[in-house]
Amino acid sequence: MSAVVPRRVFLKSSAAAGAALLVPFYLSGNPRVHKTSGSPSSDSSSSFLPNAWLEVSQDGTVKIWCGKSEIGQGVRTALPMIVAEELSCDWRRVQVVQADLDPKYGDQLTGGSLSVRTSYDNLRKAGAAAREMLISAAAREWYVERSACRAENGSVIHLSTQKRFLYAQLVTLAAGISPPNDPPLKNPSDFKLIGKPSRRTDSFAKVTGAAKFGLDTRLPGMFIASVVRSPVYGGTPRHFNADEVNSAPHVRAVFEVKSAHLTHQFGETSGPGSRNYSCAGVAVVADSTWAAVQARKLLKVEWNEPPSASESTASLREKMLRLASEPGAVIRSDGDFDKAHASAVKKIDAVYEVPFLAHATMEPVNCTAHVRGDSCELWAPTQIPGAAADAVASALGIPRERVKVHVTFIGGGFGRRLIQDYAVEAALISRDAGAAVQVVWSREDDIRHDFYRPAACHVLQAGLDAQGHLVSWRHRGSSPSIETFYNGTGISPRAAAQVDSLDFPALFVPNFRLEFTVAESSMPLGYWRSVDASGNQFVISGFFDEAAHAAGRDPLEFLLAALGPARKIPVGNAETLDVGRRRSVIQLAAQKCGWNEPLPAGRGRGIAAAFGWGSYVAQVAEVTCDGNRGTLRVDRVVCAVDCGTAVNPLGVKAQMEGAINFGLAQALKSTITISGGQVAQSNFHDYEVLRMSDAPPVIEVHIVPSAEPPGGCGELGVPPAAPAVANAIFAATGKRIRRLPIRAADLHPG
Amino acid sequence: MAISFTLNGKPQSVDVSPDMPLLWVLRDTLNMTGTKFGCGMALCGACTVHINGEATRSCVTAISSVAGKKVTTIEGLSADGSHPVQQAWMEEDVPQCGYCQSGQIMSAVALLSKKPNPTDADIDDAMSGNICRCGTYQRIRKAIHRAASMQTGKAKSAA
Repeated sequence: MSAVVPRRVFLKSSAAAGAALLVPFYLSGNPRVHKTSGSPSSDSSSSFLPNAWLEVSQDGTVKIWCGKSEIGQGVRTALPMIVAEELSCDWRRVQVVQADLDPKYGDQLTGGSLSVRTSYDNLRKAGAAAREMLISAAAREWYVERSACRAENGSVIHLSTQKRFLYAQLVTLAAGISPPNDPPLKNPSDFKLIGKPSRRTDSFAKVTGAAKFGLDTRLPGMFIASVVRSPVYGGTPRHFNADEVNSAPHVRAVFEVKSAHLTHQFGETSGPGSRNYSCAGVAVVADSTWAAVQARKLLKVEWNEPPSASESTASLREKMLRLASEPGAVIRSDGDFDKAHASAVKKIDAVYEVPFLAHATMEPVNCTAHVRGDSCELWAPTQIPGAAADAVASALGIPRERVKVHVTFIGGGFGRRLIQDYAVEAALISRDAGAAVQVVWSREDDIRHDFYRPAACHVLQAGLDAQGHLVSWRHRGSSPSIETFYNGTGISPRAAAQVDSLDFPALFVPNFRLEFTVAESSMPLGYWRSVDASGNQFVISGFFDEAAHAAGRDPLEFLLAALGPARKIPVGNAETLDVGRRRSVIQLAAQKCGWNEPLPAGRGRGIAAAFGWGSYVAQVAEVTCDGNRGTLRVDRVVCAVDCGTAVNPLGVKAQMEGAINFGLAQALKSTITISGGQVAQSNFHDYEVLRMSDAPPVIEVHIVPSAEPPGGCGELGVPPAAPAVANAIFAATGKRIRRLPIRAADLHPG
Repeated sequence: MAISFTLNGKPQSVDVSPDMPLLWVLRDTLNMTGTKFGCGMALCGACTVHINGEATRSCVTAISSVAGKKVTTIEGLSADGSHPVQQAWMEEDVPQCGYCQSGQIMSAVALLSKKPNPTDADIDDAMSGNICRCGTYQRIRKAIHRAASMQTGKAKSAA
């Protein structure tokens, strides 16, 4: 194997929305023929590696590396499609390879619905650069002009003679070609893959049981650890019966696991005073999972409890309600709310509440670590392998370069695996056990030691003029703050806010005021699919529906009237708010559901929309509801989405369907409550999620055709689901839902 | 004491604690990781296998109770993903994260063996013990109907 020192060229992403979205893209400047002994290739032939993202082999296979974590959102399909499109290779010959942590791929953060939109330009260039090199190689071999050649479906064709080289035949020749720094990109009208529904590349592995998730990691000599963590976040073990547990069958060690700072939040360094720590606890290390679980039952731990042991759902609710009823930090103020509201002809007010929520990924939190001397190897189901390496290096006191991270298949993310507590914990346990250790979290551990979507309370007021126009809107929110949790208390009240200055209906009501007050809480907090929008959209779209009914107007007509005509409104930072795209999704969802077609008694239709992550979505829910019996069924959800260029429409639809079901779980089922500073729920019997019998018979997803740059899709579909259902319940029964999850009693007409 | 049973058509013997759940025998003792751990309380269905053809939650099934019985796991459904239910799952592009799908498929196969043409209500009844947090329920319904028509089609053409 020839020694090659890569000359790295940093290509700037020209269409990324902001500096924060730039993803490093390193194009290896010395393309090479790769002799494959010890390489990822399976045969002994040579291959062409033009850059970090792809490899063309002499047997005709094309390997494409995925630099993001597959948490179900389909990155192992959509991202390779982008490379393959520009490479013009045969999609059926593509093998997708998961990239382990490697600086070539940046920090590999997988979150914020960013993967496709921040990778799009770079991956196109990676594929295009390789395609241009293959064309150059063929042209050189034929002694013809490059312009006389074209790449198509894994071949370079000489147009006038129809001579053809398979890419596989050009592997050696192409390695001698210098990569272009700015390769020409295809005209989207020539796309063969992007925009065409493509089935997932990982389905076979997932229907045969072959897919290896984090928990499926098996290492020689590996032990299994089960950890009892402090029931109250921040507590530490004072005393435990190590000797007794140690003598249980197949137990290797019993020891304290110290809490460690997690150093990161969403890929950024945590601020001073941040509270994001892994839980302290006691680890039982054994030969098998069952042995560890059985021995753990013998463990008796006395805890040093922090002052937060007095916190309860009731005490926090009271605090949030009080704070949201008082003036807070002003996040946005347009016009003069007080004056306009005083002169409004009709006024409404309401209090909305949402609970803490756990992520409850189907694969319980886990991690496998092997610490040897000053190095650590991780097999981590993580959404940020770079942050896992940082946090582990910090906890172990070793150089970051000495932490190797293998990225496994991941049984659900939803934001839980943006936090690296499991990686730090596994590393500390492996170090102290002196062996490779897999830390298996029980479902109870997973539910009770999550980083939760904050509970919140919102107090809203709105006023209408004599014509039924919305003239005043005040929204006061209070909740524990994710930003304070990760960044410390030194940040401004605005930065700590769990609301956004562009939250609807900002810009569409002349007198608008949005205020927020942090409600201090000791609960560990985290990002939950769609973050604050998950709860806030329920509040906003629900209260907006109340305003429509107060005005005596149809909610769809009221919503479109408030938005006004299609136009682009500048909102700072060179960004614009595209009212036309908002209107289009709302109108499409309404049209597809037959908004104006009457429903029988007991059934109702509700609409809600959400805008963010560079995308637009509207959903109409149809429900059958019997308030007296307390029964509710979501019959149908019709969803319209504009996510710009839909790289894989089949994947976009899957994300919308999944997000709607995830949002319905929030609407109908899930709640986390606290008592004595501890989470009261423990498993799926009391932390309920959506099941088949709850899932709507029909979810329709309609994609707005668009040539705009790709927007995010992972989170977008969650926020409107709950308010669409709540608004549909009102249409069916006249009962207004103002807290989640919806309880049978909330449907009762009395 | 060794416990013997039939695993995916082959004789299998394990020497483990008799109260050890079948799930952990499969995953830890036999390194067959296709069957998943989800809740440990038969609440989520991720660990579903067949015991003598019945869909069973392996996380609460002591290995001692399996002695002499026939166990089928996802690995035993087909060696090459050719089982009609696996095929239907791929054609409907069902999996997202995929973690629950071994259990979903095993429950669906058991359903179809009892009811070759299940209604949506049958599917709700048979599948509501299998949680999918990614929310693939609508596609699972479609895939079960598709598998049903594949299987009945095959039965017809064989007749």
